[in-house]
Amino acid sequence: MKNAQRTGVIRDYDMHSLSVRIGYGVILFFCGLMVILAVFPLLWVVLAGFKDLKEFVSSTSIVPQYFSPQPFATTWSQLGIAKNYLNSLIFVVGSVICALIFNGLLGYGLGILKPKGHKAVKRLVLLSLLMPTTISIVPLFMNIQNLGLGNSFVPLWLSYGANAMYVILFVQFFESLPRSIVEASRIDGCSQLQTFFHIVLPLSKPICAVIAIFAVNAAWSDFLLPYLVLRGGNLQTVMVRLFVFSTEQTVNEDTMMRSVVFSMIPPIILFFIFQKQLTENAVSVGIKG
Amino acid sequence: MSGQKSGLPGKTGETLKSWLIMLPGLILMTFFVWEPLFESIRMSLYKTRNVELVRWIGLDNFISVIGKDDFVQALTNTFSYTVWSLLLGFALPVLLAMLIGETRRGKGFFRTAVYLPNMLPGLAVIILWSAFFSGKESGVLNILLGHLGVPAQSYLTRSEWVVPIIILIATWKGAGATALIYMAGMASVSPELYEAAAIDGATVWHRIIHILLPSIKKLAGTLLILQIISVFQIMYEPMVLTKGGPDNASLSLMQLMWQYAFGGSMNYGKASAVAVIVTLILLGMTAVYSYFNRKESDWD
Repeated sequence: MKNAQRTGVIRDYDMHSLSVRIGYGVILFFCGLMVILAVFPLLWVVLAGFKDLKEFVSSTSIVPQYFSPQPFATTWSQLGIAKNYLNSLIFVVGSVICALIFNGLLGYGLGILKPKGHKAVKRLVLLSLLMPTTISIVPLFMNIQNLGLGNSFVPLWLSYGANAMYVILFVQFFESLPRSIVEASRIDGCSQLQTFFHIVLPLSKPICAVIAIFAVNAAWSDFLLPYLVLRGGNLQTVMVRLFVFSTEQTVNEDTMMRSVVFSMIPPIILFFIFQKQLTENAVSVGIKG
Repeated sequence: MSGQKSGLPGKTGETLKSWLIMLPGLILMTFFVWEPLFESIRMSLYKTRNVELVRWIGLDNFISVIGKDDFVQALTNTFSYTVWSLLLGFALPVLLAMLIGETRRGKGFFRTAVYLPNMLPGLAVIILWSAFFSGKESGVLNILLGHLGVPAQSYLTRSEWVVPIIILIATWKGAGATALIYMAGMASVSPELYEAAAIDGATVWHRIIHILLPSIKKLAGTLLILQIISVFQIMYEPMVLTKGGPDNASLSLMQLMWQYAFGGSMNYGKASAVAVIVTLILLGMTAVYSYFNRKESDWD
């Protein structure tokens, strides 16, 4: 019985055969190799952060000479990364709120209310999934400029309220909710908006959590539109700063590596806290490609 | 059901209110996604100065953009990215999924580990790998290969290597996440099916060929076209890693668009012309995708 539940092509009794056991050893070897390949670059960049410029450009050893937190502390204070962290935090929080509210309401309309004509919108949303937003970044940037929204978080926050993928995830989840609950609430005299906030949203905690986690990561990593909107100002996020470093080559290589480490810390923390939700939902979010 | 609570009678009031609830989302989708797409087309037909449309010039932007050597180079490179990405990155996630799927212990650990690179900011990943492939003696690859006696060499200045290297980096970041999608697809095969096949004498190899692989055929088709569409838009990777060099050998179409717009000349008209060309190619691919995907779609 236990065997039947175990997934995988190789079954328990196959393991009696020597060739299968050797094959299984090879599989484990490659899985181990895969883990090393996935983790080694990260380990390296942290180690490289301990090196000063002289050691970084000349040493042919991967392990640094000294393990002192001093280089990290120096980079942190010299570049004033704390300010960028704060900006990133403000950007991320606003983006997540917009992602949940605006995509959620649109998803509620398309998945539950389904007013006359909603199908056309649904198709349009689905179609936009295949069109990258970067492709129209030029006119979008012009529109933002024309509205006088340059050097502000507002257009960046709102851009997360227009995510076709999140809308579709909401729609799919809402359609799986039992209709009777929504109908009961309507009969009890709740308005459509009340039903959303008092009935639908509390039932939708799992999907909201998933979208929030992915939106946090997406907003933290985002830098193209943020760079265009925030460059030159004092609202630069961590990733915008890193992009400026990389294009203008204003900092040394060792400082660059420490900035990379700083930019990776929050996503890695997020990853370790929510690894279960992330790996389980990678399927639905990742399918967009 | 009548709308006692609304001033409007019944169904019409309901419909109107529903649309009002969707309105904020629709406005944002229009502003950030739909309108800019049309605006691209309009701008590509105008002579622009900064954010102003000066005058209508028909297809002049297109003619001028296509006529330049860097466009031909960028188009060729973009197809080269696509081909390399299929060579290096298409089968690998399937293989990873198969390997992890067969582990009898620690499956969760392996899943987590391969997914990790996907969580890292794309920009940070590129900068990290740039130090990896650095041509200096202190470049990580040079250090590692140095132990095997390979002399230090410059990787990112070799025009035949930059495209595969960039794809390699993108594959490192994305393959694990794609593998998880395949794993979900493979999990749809009931273990009883393998049991039954085994009882009928099918070897492990036979089970892979006749049960496992057919189970992900459709998924692989979808992911294939999605991968092509996504690689076609490659932009910031060469922008940060090589600035399109050496000698435009890694310049992509989207990068060319960015250069026209934000690379100093602020030529938004020409940038939009490039964007429209990329959009048309992507639309073509999307049409192919939906043609093959039309039967399983439940979106009608």
